[in-house]
Amino acid sequence: MAALGIVLLGLAIFAPAFFQPQPLLSLVTREAPTLIVACGMALVIITRQIDISVGSQFSVCSVCAGLLAARGWPLALVLPVSVTAGALLGALNGVLVAGLRLPSIVVTLATMVTLRQGLNLVRQGEFVNLPDNFQWFGLSQSAGQWTLVLTALLFLAGLGLALRHLAAGRWVYAVGTDAEAARLAGLRPQLITFAVFVFLGALTGLAAIMNLVQSPQVQPMVGAGLELKVIAAVVVGGVAISGGRGNLWGGFAGLLLLTCVSPALTHLHIEAYWEKAIQGAIILLAVVADGLRQKRLNR
Amino acid sequence: MNKTFPRLFFTLCLAFTALQPVLAADAKLIVAMMPKAKGNAYFLSCKAGADKAAKELGVELLFDGPTDSNAAKQNEIVENWITLGVDVIAVAAENKEGISTALRKAQKQGIKVVAYDADALPDARSFFVNQATPQGIGYTLMDEAARLCGEEGEFAIITASLTAANQREWQKHIEARLAEKYPKMKLVAVRPSDDLKDKAQSESTALMSANPNLKLLMAICSPGVPGAAEAVKQAGKIGKVKVIGLGLPNENKRYVHEGVTDSVVLWNTGDLGYLAIYAGVALAKDELKPGATSFKAGALGTFEIKGDNIMLGKPFIFNKANIDQFDF
Repeated sequence: MAALGIVLLGLAIFAPAFFQPQPLLSLVTREAPTLIVACGMALVIITRQIDISVGSQFSVCSVCAGLLAARGWPLALVLPVSVTAGALLGALNGVLVAGLRLPSIVVTLATMVTLRQGLNLVRQGEFVNLPDNFQWFGLSQSAGQWTLVLTALLFLAGLGLALRHLAAGRWVYAVGTDAEAARLAGLRPQLITFAVFVFLGALTGLAAIMNLVQSPQVQPMVGAGLELKVIAAVVVGGVAISGGRGNLWGGFAGLLLLTCVSPALTHLHIEAYWEKAIQGAIILLAVVADGLRQKRLNR
Repeated sequence: MNKTFPRLFFTLCLAFTALQPVLAADAKLIVAMMPKAKGNAYFLSCKAGADKAAKELGVELLFDGPTDSNAAKQNEIVENWITLGVDVIAVAAENKEGISTALRKAQKQGIKVVAYDADALPDARSFFVNQATPQGIGYTLMDEAARLCGEEGEFAIITASLTAANQREWQKHIEARLAEKYPKMKLVAVRPSDDLKDKAQSESTALMSANPNLKLLMAICSPGVPGAAEAVKQAGKIGKVKVIGLGLPNENKRYVHEGVTDSVVLWNTGDLGYLAIYAGVALAKDELKPGATSFKAGALGTFEIKGDNIMLGKPFIFNKANIDQFDF
């Protein structure tokens, strides 16, 4: 949070043009779907699992939804299909991880590659063209952008509160802190893990639609790299990769911080070579800070 | 006996089927053309030009390839063509090394081989029909940018990644042309898009707000062109910031018609197929020999040959006037 504040302050001084309302709204709107996926990812990481297949899930949902939309299906039908498709893909990961107790990093690595290559095989990289009335839900551009941003923020607030105050929210933390203790306390850790994967999948399907409505065509590799972005955001936001700790607000701040890097460099006229290096350094700092805090707690 | 007969019968049938086109055609040359993938719109548009050439030359054209980009399947098809006894094979190689063994075998059987779009190994084909050079692409993009900006002002480049070899090569030629011919134009930034349309859009949005005098965005990776166009459209800067790039017509038609994107640079795929067939047939008729320095291909006129590369020549510019004639 402090880091985010410093970066924004720095930008305000050296590159006030960064805060022009229209480009800023565009920038934030582009990240609204990412925020939704990051929320789901935070839950998965809190249960001490990981899902690196979200990018591929996102691509699959986008292309399915895009093809249906191109056939003339209305948004009201395309949205549930996309969410269901995402939930099914999440369920596949969930069954393998929670049911067969396989390590989630290996399972989701496999599903990531399989889904991505399958999509390449089917689409050969060809774009899907959407009908004209699809972009911005048929609203004006700024109305559409505000709808997406507010949806993402409301969702963040709702889920954040639920995680804190609802029993189900506490279960997620319990499983991530100590699955055995959670089981002894009467919870069913495997079921909760499964549910969290399905939830992330469904959110990915929702996010795919929120991205879909932002442009008139879908690129099949649209989700490439999304997994890195959301996992990094969640970790930078202070969710412990060892599970059981962290919250959504942190993930939100982490996402904003990482998202700012690239446009900030453009505004400061710094070579793009620095972009990935800076993002990497931010992640490293976050992990080191978490490690140090952990060490102090253990002492 | 019961076993041999059907097999013999089958073999005879096969032989007959294989010979039939040769017999029926009565010395009509058979040209076999292979795309990387059969259903791919890009290659279908190459085929359209090839069909035209085949008709003009009075040869029979076979068009077959894998349904997806599959190197092993390409070999299989070449083997079949050898059995069939075609006269010419024109191939876009999925895998340079992979297909070359089969192509050498074809050459030993007296079949003439040309590569187009994607080359095979030099000893596995007589000529490669080279669709574009990095210099041609770089110069055309820069000239087009300068023309649209009135030869002065700021522009920015959206690339795939800062380290991709082909992008760097194009960029080198763009910058060389800029330094040589357009002193009043200034390249203010080069931003990577990771070959993602959405990232290209975000980068373009930031470029426009960080550089208020920006006059043109040039995308040198195909997803970058519609990405930059969408950013310009959302920023309400249509006409104020122009968009050009290296890309595919279908991905850009919408923006070209809306007046967001001015020019999309690539090569004329129909001409590529046309030239490949003309070159293959000329080889088979002994009118084109290794060492030639130029080659005349029907209605398209004369092409330069550099070594064993037949050069298609200057890239093609798709714009409002002609983009609808292309479907790939």
